[in-house]
Amino acid sequence: MKPLHARYPFLAAAREAVETADVDLAGVVAREQPVVQRAMDRLEGALYDGTVGDVHRRPRVELLSYPVARVLVSLVDEHVLTRKYARAEAQTAYDRFTEELATDDPLQSTDTEHLTLDALLQEFDLARAARETPEGYRVAVGTYLEHAADQRDDEWRLVNRDLQDGEVPLSEEELLELLRQAVTHRIEDGLPFDVPEPIAVELSAEVESLREQLSDLDLTRDIDTVVPERFPPCMKYLLDQVQKGEHLEHHSRFAIAAFLTTIGMNTDEIVELFQVNPGFGEEATRYQVDHIRGATSPTEYSPPSCATMQSYGDCVNMDDICEDVIEESHPLNYYEHRLEQADDEELTDWRERQSESKS
Amino acid sequence: MEEQTLRYLRGRFGDHYRRSELTPPPFAHEREWGYVPWTEGPGETYVRHKSLLDLGELSDFLARERPRHVYFSAGRYENPSATTMGGKNWRRSDLIFDLDADHLPSAEPDDSYGEMLAKCKDALLRLLDFLETDFAFDDLTVVFSGGRGYHVHVRDEGIQHLQRDARREIVDYVRGIGLDPGSLIRTEMRGNVTARVLPTDGGWGRRVHQRLLAFVDELEALDEADALARLQELDGIGKGRAETVYGAIKRNRAAIEEGNMEAGGVGIRTLVDSLVTEVVEAQNAPIDEPVSTDTNRLIRLPGSIHGGSGLAVKRIDRDAIDEFDPLADAVPETFRKHDIAVEVTDCGRVELDGDSFTLQEGELSVPESLGVFLMCRGRAEKGQE
Repeated sequence: MKPLHARYPFLAAAREAVETADVDLAGVVAREQPVVQRAMDRLEGALYDGTVGDVHRRPRVELLSYPVARVLVSLVDEHVLTRKYARAEAQTAYDRFTEELATDDPLQSTDTEHLTLDALLQEFDLARAARETPEGYRVAVGTYLEHAADQRDDEWRLVNRDLQDGEVPLSEEELLELLRQAVTHRIEDGLPFDVPEPIAVELSAEVESLREQLSDLDLTRDIDTVVPERFPPCMKYLLDQVQKGEHLEHHSRFAIAAFLTTIGMNTDEIVELFQVNPGFGEEATRYQVDHIRGATSPTEYSPPSCATMQSYGDCVNMDDICEDVIEESHPLNYYEHRLEQADDEELTDWRERQSESKS
Repeated sequence: MEEQTLRYLRGRFGDHYRRSELTPPPFAHEREWGYVPWTEGPGETYVRHKSLLDLGELSDFLARERPRHVYFSAGRYENPSATTMGGKNWRRSDLIFDLDADHLPSAEPDDSYGEMLAKCKDALLRLLDFLETDFAFDDLTVVFSGGRGYHVHVRDEGIQHLQRDARREIVDYVRGIGLDPGSLIRTEMRGNVTARVLPTDGGWGRRVHQRLLAFVDELEALDEADALARLQELDGIGKGRAETVYGAIKRNRAAIEEGNMEAGGVGIRTLVDSLVTEVVEAQNAPIDEPVSTDTNRLIRLPGSIHGGSGLAVKRIDRDAIDEFDPLADAVPETFRKHDIAVEVTDCGRVELDGDSFTLQEGELSVPESLGVFLMCRGRAEKGQE
């Protein structure tokens, strides 16, 4: 097993190497504790550090720890772990290949097999879609969108790119960033999958440990209080529009739904709060809210920041708290501030009011 | 709609389908098909989740069923007739753009049907400029929807596998949504110093830059006092900034032509900010977002007749768009042969097939194309011959 495959276990060639070696994964998890331990390192690294840690000195252990880590992710089957794990694998791969590509030492490359940019582009079907230009690279727009559409920064949005003749110009750093996204997508692809019972049994202690660590980590903002009177002005406005049955642009619907999800509302409650009329489309609302909650998509979304709200024109009726207290940072900060200011008895959760009025 | 009107229209749609040759979309057998039959009463029945295996050969099906509306899916599936999306197993999808008069900001409530469609065509040409120049798509089919606008089907390989979020990026691009003046102006290294630059050869930057040059032309045509006054009409530009911008234009117009945003200082960047909004308003294509982001969308079949107008859903050659007149060119030949009797229930002016009619309520003999149009739109019932 080659060190290159151990460093980049998601490569098609690495997968083939594992397949050709005819490794019995059930046997590995039963008998090769270093592999299971390294797989746990990968996942714990993903949770606490955002990377999958250092390469094990034995390539076999390192390489096999990757499929075992995927098995563990599938067994835990928690969206947040899958996402963090995929990002961490991609981050580590990115750190490694940016370093390797920057090292232009011909002596070193005879020593160990190195990953070239060409090979990396080939791996992700980017070789045909990307071409080098004097200024950097140009990537076919379809390929660009495939990998960049879930980037959160405005600078990655197609509308802000110099799209020309079906190609998006990128600097080399941006191309590497795109490759990092491609790695993330490849890792996420197919996760979680069904794990055969004998393997699951062997790994039950590890799965238990990961579940505990996940619940100890406070991975969601735990507000879980719904008091619409204390919403920031932008969210008040959007909610008002929804309840009036006004048509909202996608980004606006996204903002309000993501906000409500983050403060602890479930899909049914959101649909109810929206007072959905037939024209609004309950089904569409449910689909969208489920999507934001990560139920139907690989990503769980958090509500947009003030900067993003502003760039979409969703920032309205800004007040002193927006400007001076939270300094135009995040609508959630506004809401938290307003909740902290209030006496507890002043706050009646909207959901409690609903159940009172029904009974 | 009265039963005899319905029977008449269904019969005549059948005559049309028997006589015309229809080109199905590529990979028709991998798509979902749907249609609306002619039924009485207020609600319409929507038959969907059909494959061509269920319907049979397309032209036979149309001649036999004579549907009111016919649709096929943008998506292609392993099992197009499965009733759930999971069961269908999605493979790929065309990218569809829908321009509908209902979504045009420029449409006025009292526009005639013809005026509305003309505004829609302007928007179509703006959309095509994005699709051809910026995206360089080359498999485009432009279709008159038979109703209130136009459809564009994009079938380039590069977009076939894109998911909703990626398609939304394309929608936002042609609508200019999320365009950030701050991101448009880039900072580049020039030797040892950084310089702010507006891109001149691609993206919305190119469009904004062209507008900037036109504005500069406009200023240069004025004398200094008028030019300074014009600049100060813009938000954030006072006397000082106006003078800096004007000075930069006079001294070094070439720099502005290259997209250099240092000459002219803060003022020129403020100017660009205000032009961004204007350019987006003037040049964006107001397409209907959900149609383009939905990878399972059903879309009207080109070559069929729109049951709400009696007009043909018609493919238009790219170089024929300019002279295309929907209210004449989309009138099915089958309905041009003779006159028929109708009873007008909703009187008023109507333009169709190059003519303009002022209709009185009651029994009338009219060209069949007009009669079909009125009956489909619910403005007349079939009269006694």
